[in-house]
Amino acid sequence: MELRAAREAASPDAGDFAALLRQRGLCPPVPTLSATAGGSPPLTQTQATTILAFKFAGGVLVAGDRRATAGNLVVYDRADKVLEIDTHSLMAIAGVPATAWEMARVLEHSFQFYRRSQLQEMSHEGKVRALSKLLRDNLGFVLQGVGVVVPLFAAYDIVSAAARLYFYDAMGAQFEAADYAATGSGSPAVRSVLHYENTWGSKPLVKRRESDAIVLALRALDTAAETDTATGGVDRRGLVYPIIKIIAKTGIRTLADKELARVFKSTVA
Amino acid sequence: MIEEPYRWVEAIANRREYIEHQLASGSPIAALSYRGGILLFTLGRERQKLFEIYDRIGMGGIGHPGDIERLRMAAIELTSTEGFARSAHDVSLRRLANYSLSPVLKAAFEQVYGPPYLARMLFAELGRGDAPNSFLRLDYDGSIHTNGGAFGRAHEEFGVISGTPASTAKMEQFLRQQNLPAVSLDRALSLALDAWSIGHLSLAADPKDDLPSPDALAGHRTAQLAEASIEAAVLEHASPLPITWRTLRDAEIRPGFDKR
Repeated sequence: MELRAAREAASPDAGDFAALLRQRGLCPPVPTLSATAGGSPPLTQTQATTILAFKFAGGVLVAGDRRATAGNLVVYDRADKVLEIDTHSLMAIAGVPATAWEMARVLEHSFQFYRRSQLQEMSHEGKVRALSKLLRDNLGFVLQGVGVVVPLFAAYDIVSAAARLYFYDAMGAQFEAADYAATGSGSPAVRSVLHYENTWGSKPLVKRRESDAIVLALRALDTAAETDTATGGVDRRGLVYPIIKIIAKTGIRTLADKELARVFKSTVA
Repeated sequence: MIEEPYRWVEAIANRREYIEHQLASGSPIAALSYRGGILLFTLGRERQKLFEIYDRIGMGGIGHPGDIERLRMAAIELTSTEGFARSAHDVSLRRLANYSLSPVLKAAFEQVYGPPYLARMLFAELGRGDAPNSFLRLDYDGSIHTNGGAFGRAHEEFGVISGTPASTAKMEQFLRQQNLPAVSLDRALSLALDAWSIGHLSLAADPKDDLPSPDALAGHRTAQLAEASIEAAVLEHASPLPITWRTLRDAEIRPGFDKR
């Protein structure tokens, strides 16, 4: 650890962890388009996964499958794509794992760094925007076709006393979801399911109880896995179930595999 | 004037005298181990003096707010980048103080054309698992005093800083007599307040004096509590998160003191 002069408190970078990493050379250099000018056009990029999130009576539920793929190869069947950033924020990732997990790590440290250095909690809007900035900084990788990430972000907002849900595009535009959001290659199927359920189902998603929400999440993921090879279904032999996390005023809760196994057995399979 | 060695020594001595004079009125800070972790404690009138540095490291500082702030930011930046680039397990108080902060403080202090850091800091690090807690005092000249455990010195379960050496010695003398770390948080708060009061009473005392009498201590405690606010924080083993720091609010702990 080498000591360098701390940045001036008056600098716009004060409390900005990503700026600190750039200053210390701890960020990978982002390739620019001109570096490969004349090369082939960017590859078609897929975000091979399924992530879904929706609001229900008890907060926001975020669910993701466990499969990581490279082309048509299954690389890993226990990937955790729903990541806890702090006690009241979740980031769910679709896209290139290396970039996505690094982004989550930067984000996690950013919130703590801001709180410790500025002696106040980062605002809800600030947190939502922080992820947007990371995505924009990643634009070079996106244009090269090697590092696209399309995340969801859910956090409990103390001011509006509600859990809120956001989705992003690969360049960092942020959109607040009214009822539900989905990302990844399996998302068209999931969005159809959620739209149908929200509009014509037994009741709107926001009015459903937790037990019903969990059943819906498992069924939607199963639907996505039916047609999308990049979405892992439930591996009952290996006992690998999707990750489901619920965010509410009290914080984040991860549903136990045992509980998911029970619900899956009785209502999905 | 400093081309000649003895002039340099003189300049350093003057500078030391000046800084000690500036720090002499500093309100003491006590940190001690209790059953559940580490308690950091002080009484203050205006600005915040206890700070979270990283998951398991806390800091208290007396001196010029600008200098404390610069060192605090440096410590946070160093530990955060280390924790990010490697892992939170690789962040250690020993390395932070010995390799990063101390050389900088020494260099600033001895370069007599530049300004020194007007700060005295106390760091506390919550041990992982069975590892003991570390307490470390870092002075304006880069000198380090630890709570021992190495080089044949008995391990101590506390660390203190204060404005004067006499005051520091008295606080240490008092805390050495206590049965740390086998105390509850309530008891630790009471001991910390006693240690603070002893330190505050002895700012102008002679190092050879006895500890203040229990009556004098009780009177001083009550008088100071009435006009200052309590600043306290804990680094807790029981925290469900990697972050162990928790600030104890004045309103949360003051009723406990009023009852005793």
